[in-house]
Amino acid sequence: MTSKILKSILSVAVAVLLSSIIIITGVFYQYFGEVQENQLKDELSLAASATEQLGERYLEGLDSSRYRLTWVASDGTVLFDSHADATAMENHEDREEIKEALISGTGSSTRRSSTLTEQTIYEATRLDDGSVLRISVSRATALLLVLGMLQPITIVFVIAIVLSAWLAHRMAKRVVEPLNKLDLDKPMENDVYEELSPLLHRIHAQHMEIKSQMLILKQKQDEFDQITVNMKEALVLLDNTGRILSINPAARNLFHTGIDCIGEDFLTVERKQNMRLALEEAKVQGHSDFRDKKNSKEYQFDLSRIDSNGKNHGMVILAFDITERVNAEKHRQEFTANVSHELKTPLQSIIGSAELMENGIVKDEDVPRFIGRIRKEASRLVTLIDDIIRLSQMDEGIEMQYEDVSLFALSEEICDTLSDAAKMKNVSLKVTGDDGVINGVRRLLYEVVYNLCDNAIKYSNLGGSVKVSVVQKPDTVCLSVQDTGIGISPEHQDKIFERFYRVDKSHSKQSGGTGLGLSIVKHAVQYHHGKIIVDSELNKGTIISVLFST
Amino acid sequence: MRNRFDEQLFELNKKIIEMGAMCEEAIASAAKALTTGDVVLAGKVKADSNAIDQMEREIESCCMKLLLHQQPVARDLRLISAALKMITDMERIGDQAEDIAEIVTFLNGHTMEGMEVIGDMARETIQMVTSSVDAFVKKDVTLAEEVITRDDVVDDYFSRVKHGIINLITENSADGEFALDLLMISKYFERIGDHATNIAEWVIYSVTGTRKEV
Repeated sequence: MTSKILKSILSVAVAVLLSSIIIITGVFYQYFGEVQENQLKDELSLAASATEQLGERYLEGLDSSRYRLTWVASDGTVLFDSHADATAMENHEDREEIKEALISGTGSSTRRSSTLTEQTIYEATRLDDGSVLRISVSRATALLLVLGMLQPITIVFVIAIVLSAWLAHRMAKRVVEPLNKLDLDKPMENDVYEELSPLLHRIHAQHMEIKSQMLILKQKQDEFDQITVNMKEALVLLDNTGRILSINPAARNLFHTGIDCIGEDFLTVERKQNMRLALEEAKVQGHSDFRDKKNSKEYQFDLSRIDSNGKNHGMVILAFDITERVNAEKHRQEFTANVSHELKTPLQSIIGSAELMENGIVKDEDVPRFIGRIRKEASRLVTLIDDIIRLSQMDEGIEMQYEDVSLFALSEEICDTLSDAAKMKNVSLKVTGDDGVINGVRRLLYEVVYNLCDNAIKYSNLGGSVKVSVVQKPDTVCLSVQDTGIGISPEHQDKIFERFYRVDKSHSKQSGGTGLGLSIVKHAVQYHHGKIIVDSELNKGTIISVLFST
Repeated sequence: MRNRFDEQLFELNKKIIEMGAMCEEAIASAAKALTTGDVVLAGKVKADSNAIDQMEREIESCCMKLLLHQQPVARDLRLISAALKMITDMERIGDQAEDIAEIVTFLNGHTMEGMEVIGDMARETIQMVTSSVDAFVKKDVTLAEEVITRDDVVDDYFSRVKHGIINLITENSADGEFALDLLMISKYFERIGDHATNIAEWVIYSVTGTRKEV
């Protein structure tokens, strides 16, 4: 800034200086030249009249150092010269001023000396006798004058430089000072040069734009944070060198790390081989996934490369807890295997019996026994299928009709139905307690009580007893079925509600159950948001209580 | 120039972690093969060990390049020299895991009946290796010191295994070859524990600049 101002000031100063020197020198030179010429003419006319009267005597008596007088005869021969020996001088006939004077009476000319620094002015006049008297004077040229002034000019020039430097510095400072003092955070509140207001307006507009964009960005970041902080899935973002950009709390828990791992390589957080291989694969193919056990849970890891405009920007790692899904899958597989097995057993028995009869191996008196077996197995199959249908209905979670059901009345009804079976094993069957009305699905509650009582009778020893009691409390109804049967050992108590689980591994047909009864009980109770409590001791008996909240 | 150096150091750090992880996996596979008698898994450990050897050479040349081209000083120099020492220990761990796996293939599914203590010893050793690599990853001196003290536990396990084997022999319930194999395996685990201790010591050196007094 300063140097620019200095340059312009200096160039103006130099231009003014030079032009004024040229103009002044020119004007004065012209003026003084004219004055000198007139003086010369006057001198010449005086000298001419004196020469005409006194001749050479006058000229010789004249003592002139300033002027040079030359007397030339009409044929050009020099008769006298005040500064040189006349006889040694050449003929002056062809000199311009002499020629002019010989013709018109007066003549004048200006000639430059060989050094260019001097100029000689000649004036000539014809005397009466035809000879010519010439006067001449030397004067300095304009160039010499200027050269003579070189010293003062240089001084002025130096002063001009110093002055302009100082001025430029001050000016630059004064111009820049308000600019430096500009408050760019509040551009519209500045009071400076008018010329700056477009700039300030522009800055103000950009300020506003940046502010609004920052706000939008912050909102988006907040949204992103809110989502990632609250999501159950673990999410990690990596940059293209594998360093962690962002890691949500779920992921921090999963990998046992803190927030300070941001900026570190992901390898420092998880260095297992399958993760390394998956990262490599995702880098090449764009996506990869794998399953792994971590913190005793099963996780599915999904890795995706982030591409934008054909450039790799990093990686997203997403981990879901799939423990439940894996367990459910396992259960389903087990269930399918069990169902097929359970369905196959009676069918095999039916086919066997039928084949024996078909081939005529069975004696006539045995035929009814075989047919009886076929019927028994077929009806077993039907019960089994019924149970499965019931279970799958409950699995589907179809809405069923709710109504007020008295557990006491229901239990009595069931005991009536089961009285024959009980009599066969000589088991006493008794229902005691309160009315126990709850709001529920009658059909399901029937299944619960029926299956519990059925089991109690089935696993009772001969001559045992089964007691059903309904106890009503302020906000719960408890139905418990107590038997004096074989009991369930503690290690089996958790598992008896699993489908097809049998305490007796031989799956004996002796008891005639399908292995689904308690599973149906569990689902039905869950449907009513109830609770099952098993209290049993091996060879002493079992109490299974079901708690319903009213 | 400096940026490039930092990048190379970062890369070196990454590679050491990777190699540590490879060792962890090799020894874990070897231990699993031992307890389950899985001969196929034991065969895989050999490939792991070869990969570890490869990695050692890679890291070695990486360290040499850094030393020659960048003339590191202070902490950086310590990291690189510690790395050079550490990879030797890691490579030995890989080799010993391979040796264990090789014995497992000879055992031919022979079970560790009466010698469950070897399984405990394996778990403890794996823990030590994992902790020493963790200490390197986190540059955690406390954890490294913990690893060094844990070496006594593994040494103790070794003497217990030894007594167990002596008992087996006096009871005549194990043949001589099997007893020797067991002894070798437990010795390998004990050596792996020592290597983990060395790694932990180098971690302490790279962070603090002082070698632990032995």
